[in-house]
Amino acid sequence: MRIVIAEDAVMLREGLCMLLTSRDHEVVAAVGDGDALLAAVAEHGPDIAVVDVRMPPSHTDEGLRAAIQIRRDHPSVGVLVFSQYIETRYAAQLLAGGAHGVGYLLKERVADVKDFLAALDRIAAGQTVLDPEVVTQIMGASRRTETLGTLTPREREVLAMMAEGRSNNAIAVALFLSYGSVEKHVTQIFTKLGLSPSDNDHRRVLAVLRYLQA
Amino acid sequence: MLITTPVRERSQRELAYALMLPFMAAIGLVHLVLVLLSVILTANLVGVPMLALSVMAARGLGTANRRLSRAWAGVRVPDPGPFRAGPGLLNRLGAALGDVTGWRAVIHSLLRLPAAVVACAAAAGLWGGGLLLLGCPLWGQSSAMAHLSPPGWPVAALVSAAGLALLLLAPWGLHLALAPERMLARTLLGPGPGDTRIRRLEQARALAAEDAVARLRRIERDLHDGTAARLVTLAMSLGMAQDELEQADQPERLQRARVLVDSAHRSAKETVAELRDLIRGIHPPALDQGLEVALATLTARSPIPARFEADLPERPAPAIEAIAYFCTTELLANVVKHSGARHAAIEVRVRDGLLTLRVRDDGTGGAAIGTGSGLRGLAARVQTLDGMIDIHSPAGGPTVITVELPPHI
Repeated sequence: MRIVIAEDAVMLREGLCMLLTSRDHEVVAAVGDGDALLAAVAEHGPDIAVVDVRMPPSHTDEGLRAAIQIRRDHPSVGVLVFSQYIETRYAAQLLAGGAHGVGYLLKERVADVKDFLAALDRIAAGQTVLDPEVVTQIMGASRRTETLGTLTPREREVLAMMAEGRSNNAIAVALFLSYGSVEKHVTQIFTKLGLSPSDNDHRRVLAVLRYLQA
Repeated sequence: MLITTPVRERSQRELAYALMLPFMAAIGLVHLVLVLLSVILTANLVGVPMLALSVMAARGLGTANRRLSRAWAGVRVPDPGPFRAGPGLLNRLGAALGDVTGWRAVIHSLLRLPAAVVACAAAAGLWGGGLLLLGCPLWGQSSAMAHLSPPGWPVAALVSAAGLALLLLAPWGLHLALAPERMLARTLLGPGPGDTRIRRLEQARALAAEDAVARLRRIERDLHDGTAARLVTLAMSLGMAQDELEQADQPERLQRARVLVDSAHRSAKETVAELRDLIRGIHPPALDQGLEVALATLTARSPIPARFEADLPERPAPAIEAIAYFCTTELLANVVKHSGARHAAIEVRVRDGLLTLRVRDDGTGGAAIGTGSGLRGLAARVQTLDGMIDIHSPAGGPTVITVELPPHI
């Protein structure tokens, strides 16, 4: 994969370069701020851009803004936004233009090298990767949203676990339910959220996205 | 000079002010009667709201008087604080009855009566009398004045000359006669002593709040950009090493894992050092043993040789110790960064209920607030605790910066 990295902490930037090149990826550019990122993406047209949210000059959300712009101007480039903390507002902004080929992960996820690389692959393949933390926060925060109101407390619990990436089996064990009833809840959730069966696997992620955009 | 005075702007304005005075004084008098009436009526409660209204009216009257005296009598007097009351009628009533600004305006109305009489009499006597005497040769034309007309032209000329002299003196005389008016406006229509103090405290509070936010932001920035980034890198190195070790049977992978672990080890040690600096910045552990120990440690670490003297018979309050410590770190850092000095000296003493911190250097001088030396922030922080900072730094040096703080809050 051809990758552009935007991260202002030099150490981390170099570490990421080393990690990615050692796994046979090509880091075509490693930059330290939003403008340089946009220029690098326009120049190299990478498969994926790994973007830190907080970068100079204002150290607020220039990375996020650049990421949103990349998604608008270069829809074929996958974007992984990469941050030390999770802001659901950021996630919502990032996903506002659709959930194709985008990810939002806590920086420390890079420590689990295999998962991190897998996440990159999935994003490059057009899938969505959300940090479990995003899900936890959304479930906590969006109790008031209308869509959520139609779910029963049990369905909400199931959705929370589903969005964390747990399988039906794991959910059944954690909630002391039978596999069958978990399946029933999941189907119920999909129906209530208006997700057609044709979406298949992707529906699990889409279910979470519904909340983000609610 | 004396000839041009009458047409000068100031005297014109003062004359106009003197002409307005009777009206203002009369309005004040009517208002005083109202206040008196309200006070008498407070016995049967009707007077209470009346009195409150009178005090509020006094505020308005005070504002009018203040503007007039500013515009026409050249009095420099700042506005008092705005009227403040909680929500609800009762709160407003109470606040109005106790409104210091209003009551001071009432006192002003009372005391200005004699002052106004003096000023008006001076205006009438000097300007009016002067004009009257100047017109002496014309007195014969008027039937009412005819019998006063002087017997011969020499006398008439003399009287006219006296009138002219009076007119020339009038501007000075009136200015003098307005002195009590000016004094009263300055002392009673401006902010009261409490007001000034409150304003200063409000400013100090705003500074303290901003300072706290800025400090937290800096700590957050340091943690985010420094420590957290280092830890992520460290975790990443270990993660990669872990990955390599899964195939530890291949020698080159084992070697790579070793390199990664080495780098993680280094990174961990650097993180610890960085954290230590950060912690020292938040609250230096040396301060726990008192300012003297902390400053001695600080000066011992200074890259420029620094002499340290302390005379602290009692320990200042912790907040004062902390601020004195930070002042010293900032000032010493300035010495190192900007002064080009070869020696520095730091003195701290508590005497007569005042903590004095003095930092000297033999550098090139030229330190001032607003030259990017952080002195502005320092001054702001010192002011929040009623302290002050004195900067003596002529071009060419040496620089002596003195910080004074109350030892207890």
